[in-house]
Amino acid sequence: MTLGIETKKLKRTGYLPAFLGGGLLAAAFPLVNMLVRSETFVSLPGDPFQILMDANWQMMAMLNILISICGACMMYHTEYADNGAQKMDVLPVRTGNLFLGKFVIAVLVLAAMVAMETAVLAGCALYWFPAYELTMPDLIKQAGFQWFVTLPTVMLMLVIASACKNMWVSLGIGAILVFTLTIFPQDNLVLSLFPFSSPYQLFAVAKQNSSIPLFLGVCAAETVLFGLIELILQKTRRCVA
Amino acid sequence: MNIIETNQLTKSYGDFTAVSRLNLHIRKGSVYGFLGPNGAGKSTTMKMFLGLTRPTEGGFQIDGKTYPGDRVAILKEIGSFIEAPAFYGNLTGEENLDIIRKILGLPKSSVSDALELVGLAPFRKRLAKKYSLGMKQRLGLAGALIGRPPILILDEPTNGLDPVGIHEIRTLIKSLPQQFDCTVLVSSHLLPEVELMADDIGILNHGRLLFEGTLEDLKTSAKTAGFPTDNLEDTFLAMIDEDNRKRGGAR
Ligand SMILES: Nc1ncnc2c1ncn2[C@@H]1O[C@H](COP(=O)(O)OP(=O)(O)OP(=O)(O)O)[C@@H](O)[C@H]1O
Ligand SMILES: [Mg+2]
Repeated sequence: MTLGIETKKLKRTGYLPAFLGGGLLAAAFPLVNMLVRSETFVSLPGDPFQILMDANWQMMAMLNILISICGACMMYHTEYADNGAQKMDVLPVRTGNLFLGKFVIAVLVLAAMVAMETAVLAGCALYWFPAYELTMPDLIKQAGFQWFVTLPTVMLMLVIASACKNMWVSLGIGAILVFTLTIFPQDNLVLSLFPFSSPYQLFAVAKQNSSIPLFLGVCAAETVLFGLIELILQKTRRCVA
Repeated sequence: MNIIETNQLTKSYGDFTAVSRLNLHIRKGSVYGFLGPNGAGKSTTMKMFLGLTRPTEGGFQIDGKTYPGDRVAILKEIGSFIEAPAFYGNLTGEENLDIIRKILGLPKSSVSDALELVGLAPFRKRLAKKYSLGMKQRLGLAGALIGRPPILILDEPTNGLDPVGIHEIRTLIKSLPQQFDCTVLVSSHLLPEVELMADDIGILNHGRLLFEGTLEDLKTSAKTAGFPTDNLEDTFLAMIDEDNRKRGGAR
């Protein structure tokens, strides 16, 4: 029920178009890359899909993060702009459920984005590497991993957006976090487990280092942790108000 | 029988006390007028009833339930409107009410019912952010009235309405207890306005309750205290003035 309500609140906010646009933009990236300089890539040794991921995922993951930031800001801007959030506070609902509804919507549209991107990458691999054979289960595992390691980022951003009544503040914090964590070295394992950093992790690299369980476990834990922080925030806000 | 009762209800912000040791008694089925100048603590008291802010000391009981344990159960019984209308600007008036309807689990017809009640039916398809101030106010009222809750908490509901609107809403509020069998707590700055709607009156100044009782009680006690009684506005102003002077003297 809360899912339906939360979806309805997003009407006319440009939320879904933003994700669609972002997804198309991210998906266009490998396509343009191949159209312009396919010779550079087709001659490389190794798995074609991984060659494409290596070449494009940094940019695509960054777009996923940026769109998730915008999405979180949009969601809470509709709550705070005309004080709709206060109306929710005086209705008999648990505010935690409303937050959860927002999180579910955010991760579903993210899943659609990642699926779209993976499909385009797979299409490019098949088109420019005719000998290449791709299996569906592998593709799904691949997309699933990239989606899962983005979850803590989505959750943390929603927590930030819900805490700041002013959309520009949360947008600013999000942008600062994106750039801070891209400056840090990418090969540091601990740093790569942080939100805003873990989305750049490649499935193939994690597989090679057999760190897939580590990434899945840590990302799951982070997501739950940020969710709990949100619940505490909601409680304290009521006390200090 | 009292449906809302407070017991030494207090709210402080730092060392400033917004609401001080309030003991209110709101009878079931009555319209209770909550009166006081700007900053008296009316909104703060109502916010505590709705769980928007936590009492610093003391407590209250609404229909036998207490905060914070029964927060959701209390909110199920209250329709409310606090300070400014709260809504989603990107949705139409109708869609806004439909969200509330879904949360409260009401039948579909309750939305048009509420729109009719506040006279917004012709503008149901317009975006709420494109509403005029008075229309927003009416939307807020509709959001409080939808589902005909047993308790209504209305904070300055006639703010921003035109004279005809003010009259309409006053008449509506006055008729609510008989019509819907509910209790209304309504705040205002104007004693003459409260006089037209309310059965009981509570007068608040600087967070303290100066008077509680019926209109008749007010006139009687004003007479004994030597306040003017032929015009109630003057009575109110004299009471507040007297209290302010006492507070000034005590300092
Ligand atoms: N969050 C807050 N922090 C600090 N002080 C506050 C806060 N909220 C309210 N106050 C103070 O509490 C006092 C009572 O405010 P309240 O809004 O309850 O007044 P009111 O009776 O509703 O006034 P009005 O008629 O102007 O609406 C005011 O002095 C106000 O400045
Ligand atoms: Mg007020």
